[in-house]
Amino acid sequence: MLASIPSSTLDGIDGAAVDVEVHVTNGLPAFTIVGLPDASCREARDRVRAAVESSDLNWPMQRITVNLAPTCVRKVGAGLDLPIGLGILAASEQIPLESLSDISAVGELGLDGSLRPVPGILPMVDVLKTDRVIVAAADAGVAALGAGDRVRPVRRLRDIIDVVSEGLPWPHVEPPRCDDEVADEPDLADVRGQASARWALEIAAAGGHHLLLIGPPGGGKTMLARRLPGLLPDLSAEAARLVTRVHSAASIRLPGSGLVRRPPFRAPHHSASMAALVGGGSGRVLPGEISVATEGVLFLDELGEFAPSVLDGLRQPLEEGVVRVARSGGMREHPANVLLVAAMNPCPCGEGGSVSCRCGPSARMRYSRRISGPVLDRLDVMVHVDRPSPTALLEREPGEPSSAVAQRVARVRELALSRGARTNAALNREQLEDAAPLEPEATDVLHQALTDGRLSARGAMRVRAVARTIRDLDDAGPTLRARDLYSAIGFRVRPPMGSFDA
Amino acid sequence: MREDTQAAALASLGGATPLRLHNLLEQRSVGEAFEAVESGSLGSAVAPVEVLAAWQRELKGIDLNALSEGLDAAGARVTTLGDPTHPVQLVNDIDPAPVIFGCGTLPDPSLAHVAVIGTRRASSIGREVAREIGMGLAEAGVVVVSGLALGVDGEAHRGALLAGGAPPLAVVGSGVDVVYPKRHRDLWEGVVAAGAVLSEAPLGGRPEPWRFPARNRLIAALSDLVVVIESRASGGSLLTVEQAIRRDVEVMSVPGSVRNKAAEGTNQLLVDGCAPARDVVDVLVALGLSQTALATRRGSADAGVADLAVADLAVADLAVADSAVVDRSGSSVRSGAVDAKGAAVLDAIDDGPTSMDEVVDRSGLGVLEVYAHVEELVAAGLVVHDGSRIRRQY
Repeated sequence: MLASIPSSTLDGIDGAAVDVEVHVTNGLPAFTIVGLPDASCREARDRVRAAVESSDLNWPMQRITVNLAPTCVRKVGAGLDLPIGLGILAASEQIPLESLSDISAVGELGLDGSLRPVPGILPMVDVLKTDRVIVAAADAGVAALGAGDRVRPVRRLRDIIDVVSEGLPWPHVEPPRCDDEVADEPDLADVRGQASARWALEIAAAGGHHLLLIGPPGGGKTMLARRLPGLLPDLSAEAARLVTRVHSAASIRLPGSGLVRRPPFRAPHHSASMAALVGGGSGRVLPGEISVATEGVLFLDELGEFAPSVLDGLRQPLEEGVVRVARSGGMREHPANVLLVAAMNPCPCGEGGSVSCRCGPSARMRYSRRISGPVLDRLDVMVHVDRPSPTALLEREPGEPSSAVAQRVARVRELALSRGARTNAALNREQLEDAAPLEPEATDVLHQALTDGRLSARGAMRVRAVARTIRDLDDAGPTLRARDLYSAIGFRVRPPMGSFDA
Repeated sequence: MREDTQAAALASLGGATPLRLHNLLEQRSVGEAFEAVESGSLGSAVAPVEVLAAWQRELKGIDLNALSEGLDAAGARVTTLGDPTHPVQLVNDIDPAPVIFGCGTLPDPSLAHVAVIGTRRASSIGREVAREIGMGLAEAGVVVVSGLALGVDGEAHRGALLAGGAPPLAVVGSGVDVVYPKRHRDLWEGVVAAGAVLSEAPLGGRPEPWRFPARNRLIAALSDLVVVIESRASGGSLLTVEQAIRRDVEVMSVPGSVRNKAAEGTNQLLVDGCAPARDVVDVLVALGLSQTALATRRGSADAGVADLAVADLAVADLAVADSAVVDRSGSSVRSGAVDAKGAAVLDAIDDGPTSMDEVVDRSGLGVLEVYAHVEELVAAGLVVHDGSRIRRQY
């Protein structure tokens, strides 16, 4: 007898439809799986057999052949356990074949016949077009985002048999509890003092400008960076779905409701490899941190400690908003629309600029040279974060809360959308000409800065975008004034850091 | 044949130390010496015989015309002890400097010359003090003599150039056309433009290690007073101090923290009896140059006089700021740059490194406004902003 169950596997961050064909025939008892399964998929043999027997069903002592079609796609993970099990039961005539028509299934089987969740369930159900989609109960919430009410969540294999052969109704599965994502985000009200850094955060959040925080250890760089996602608006429906797909594929715990509604915050350690940051891996191409952080904040603490080649690997994704990872199996395109926040000490001892600095000029020079110019060039806003003064620390008055700042940020982001770009930072040259006309004095300012060598041509464009954000935050006037440009230049990265002492 | 070219050729011979050159030139004119080396008619009193033989061979290989063109191209002059343009301080020195290469214009020898020296690995405070003292001396019309090295030397010259007062004088260990350290190219060119760079090394001469102690003796010989800012327990600056003491040149030492490794040598100098130099006023007083400086110093002990002095300083301050604005008001942006709020922001910025948040606090203005005004002041050349800190620039 032959049975065929539709299912899917994960390919990068996308699902790929797979037909699980099971053939049971007389002959010496044997169980083979063909069709490019990876190791975890091949191990299905033992799991499925134990699960079937634990569910009071019989294991056919016949020759069983499982084919995973199309055979050219590599099948990864244990999500095909369930369709293989169902296929064997149907092909050995323990459940009626016609009862499985228009049913697809994804899930990992436990030896006791229970059904377990699998990573990437959202992209996987996206490619399943059947009337009913069986998934593990724990995957129900996320799967419903893709397949809606076609989802049939179940807890164990036996439940499915009861429905298809006994005619019982589908079991009711309590939807998982929704926790409030926003409650987890730290609030800007906790930050005392740090007037410039607060503004830098607000400008970065409002305009989508990449941010560099420089300062001694203990100054609060990490604390500030963690508060950046809280300033960003909720993800749009489309963005939320994209982020959820990526997170699902990367096995990152999703919020209770399943859908990631808040911008993600990722802070990879500086020992991260190129594959960890931009994506890759052998066999299956996993999304890297830059893709996991898409639509949110990628925080690189201790920027100077990252391997230079890894940082340079971020240049193209930052520029284009997508990262293309090529492997022998083909090329995958993952999203990489991040707001980059980098933090570093001013010098090796961390005290740079203050009197207790012990670093020689050449040590400081070497330290600031560790970050390549092209990477620094992509950071549009820089701010020095000092340790807060004792008076500011003991201040009882809380700072302005994130919610108030977030309102201004949301307004500026809407303005950017009306100009035809995701953010002000993404405005291209023509859009900038239209959206950020310069007053005559402002032209003089740029002209002077270019003549003095304080700005490069590329820098002038970036400054103009930041100035647009600054004006938007101020009163959203149509033109850019000299003071807007001066402020924007003031926040610009200056490559020879610590030049007072060099 | 020009004598200076011949002298340059002699100085460029391998192993032509100042002492051997002196032996060679003591009894002879440059032309005679040149011929003597060329003909091999010198005795071993000048240098060992094998060195003289090597010189004879080497001299044949030197293209005097090319050398002469090289000197002109580098804008370098060569003087020997007999020349009227040879630095007068070196004429009767105990260790003769027979051949000197120079770029730029020698400062008037009647001006006071003060050497400001110290370690290359100075602390940030040391560099700051070096710059301030360099600035103060130049403003008071004193020639700052130093070695253009990293750390204290370079900062002293930087300060002198910023002040734009008396011309600076540098003595270097490499050829006058070999910028070393490379990082100081702008500073080097600034010193050549405003004052002079001197060296005993021939054109194209590498900064060989033995040149530096010899260079230090010239710094001591050229100066009326030596100020050491930071020096380690066995630093090269102490060699300069030794040379200064041999010449009865007064040495002053800037006190440093007892925990500061870079100040061990200078603190030891204080223990050994050097006069302390807390700031430029101490140095000017030691030079007998500054009645007003002395008054200011005494005034700080006396409240009434102090107020007067502070008021005077404030007026002077404003005048400096005003003149800077007027001087640089080339474009409309610049002249319009400093309005009342700009002046308030400028007021909030120290001479030393100041953080943006401090300026925001002191000025009482909004952050964006402060950033805008600071950048205007940067554009107007009144302050420097390195991304972390801001400070005034004069």
